[in-house]
Amino acid sequence: MSPTVEIRLVLARELRRSLRSAKGIALGALTLLGAFVTSLICAWVEGSNRSQLGAESSQAFVELKREAIEKATGDPSFAAYAASIPSSLLAFLKVTIWITPLLVALVGFDSISGELQQRTVRFWALRTRRWSYFTGKLLGLWTLVAIVTLTVNLLAAAVALEKGYVSVRELFVWGARFWFVAFVISGAWAAIATFISACFVTPIVALLTTFAVFFALWLAGLGGFVGRLKDASATGIVKDMSWYEYLYPNAYDTLLLSSELTRVLMALGILMASIALIAALGSALFERRDL
Amino acid sequence: MTAPEAAVRLHRLTKRFGPKTAVNDVSLTIGRGSVYGLIGPNGAGKTTTFSLMAGYLRPSAGSVHVLGHEPRAVDELRSRIGVLPQDATLPATDEVGELLVYLARLQNVPYRKAVDVARGALEEVDGIGWWKMRCGNLSHGMAKRVALAQAFLGEPELVLLDEPTAGLDPKVAWEIRQFIKGRRGRSTIVISSHNLQELEEICDGAAILDRGRLVASGKMTELTAADDEVRVKVAAGTKRGSGPGEVPMGELRELPMVKTVEFDDEALEIVVGFERAQTNVETVIGSVLSSLLRNQVRVSGVTRGRGLEQRVMDLV
Repeated sequence: MSPTVEIRLVLARELRRSLRSAKGIALGALTLLGAFVTSLICAWVEGSNRSQLGAESSQAFVELKREAIEKATGDPSFAAYAASIPSSLLAFLKVTIWITPLLVALVGFDSISGELQQRTVRFWALRTRRWSYFTGKLLGLWTLVAIVTLTVNLLAAAVALEKGYVSVRELFVWGARFWFVAFVISGAWAAIATFISACFVTPIVALLTTFAVFFALWLAGLGGFVGRLKDASATGIVKDMSWYEYLYPNAYDTLLLSSELTRVLMALGILMASIALIAALGSALFERRDL
Repeated sequence: MTAPEAAVRLHRLTKRFGPKTAVNDVSLTIGRGSVYGLIGPNGAGKTTTFSLMAGYLRPSAGSVHVLGHEPRAVDELRSRIGVLPQDATLPATDEVGELLVYLARLQNVPYRKAVDVARGALEEVDGIGWWKMRCGNLSHGMAKRVALAQAFLGEPELVLLDEPTAGLDPKVAWEIRQFIKGRRGRSTIVISSHNLQELEEICDGAAILDRGRLVASGKMTELTAADDEVRVKVAAGTKRGSGPGEVPMGELRELPMVKTVEFDDEALEIVVGFERAQTNVETVIGSVLSSLLRNQVRVSGVTRGRGLEQRVMDLV
């Protein structure tokens, strides 16, 4: 039996387990509700901005944005690119990826630690390679979060479409890209959460450790962002990210949304390599541990 | 690789947890086709030995081979080995049927066949009616049967059962013993338990562990001396002598097949040793009882050997 089949079976079971557990249902309902409210707020903010700027059409709003960005950056091509990004969907993306670690932590903390504590893992130990099990768990969590982010992105898209802030074409171009950004970033969070879950036999310890690690990464991202903001206001030059900012998966969103393909590929490469590295480390650790 | 006749082979197996040595230098070979018991008091190292055989734990020293492979060789052992872990909980949100199908699928059984295999396994434990039940809603006895069904899923060559009847009411425990007996000859079965009566009833051979060390192992008849010894219980007040109602030690010693005769005044038990190569136990029982009855000794019971419980008590 190939490892691919094992991984597929573990992944499918993980999805089934998450979607039917009380925790999964409650989190799903809360996420959908929160996403709906957030998408309404994002749309309301865009509506207010349009009113303030006096933009009567979407085209006029994009033009006003382009002028403002060009004035701030002095870069016409970047301004044209940035102005074309649908504002409410971008705001929604920011909220989505900010919420993603919380969702990943709450869904994933017990994916392995729970089965270690209950020793349920012993029922599969002689039937799957340990690395297949770990990878299946990671991909299961990642897929679940991807489904949730896709659903909430569709919800936000529907609201923006109904308000007339985006066209169907923009939805296909930008909506898909935003979801892809959320998808890649959530993979990094899922890898870290699965790794931590495999380290502990007590789910609550895994949960607290996951929160602590995620918080530390958020602080790294926040510290870098605030530092760059200060520099920019003092010197007028926006610097590149500090090395420690790269530790925070959400910091890659601007790179992934960049107009420069090399920056997009670099961000994608780093994130995917990180996920692969964490998966390899987690599998190796899980391979060695007693069950 | 080890010799093909061994179902399990432990060589100088040691497992330490920090400063504590749970299993200490245990070497043991379990032949194929047998029902074998791992015996010992609490803390003897039974479950640790069992977990090492199942690959849940890594040895600190020594080696384990099951069916000629290391227990973690998943591909080589897939579908060939089944395990009933003692304290593993079935996943609460899974339905019984889908869990068994999932496990069969992991054993490389195609989906359609996996459903049949899972149904067959559940039927064998009289649990087909639980197919759609969530595992979290099963009683302890039902969960144990489902766990037993998963251990025998797909007719594995070797099945490891850790405390299969622990915590069950006598009726369910009896039913599970009958189920295991019914599987005799179809798989090699290794049972870890401290229920000695149960093991004596089910097993062909056993290993006795105490404080992590192997203190005895062999066929059940060897361990209990069932083929070398007959024990006769006599009524209270019985003494040795040659008068009516007294144990005729001299007469018993003169029986042709008898090697030794002892009378335990406190236990009120006559222990008759004999040479197994020269006779059989039924002949010895007949001769001894005939002699005792002639002397009007009141007999209250006869057993072959000393019983597993007594043997274990002597050793640990």
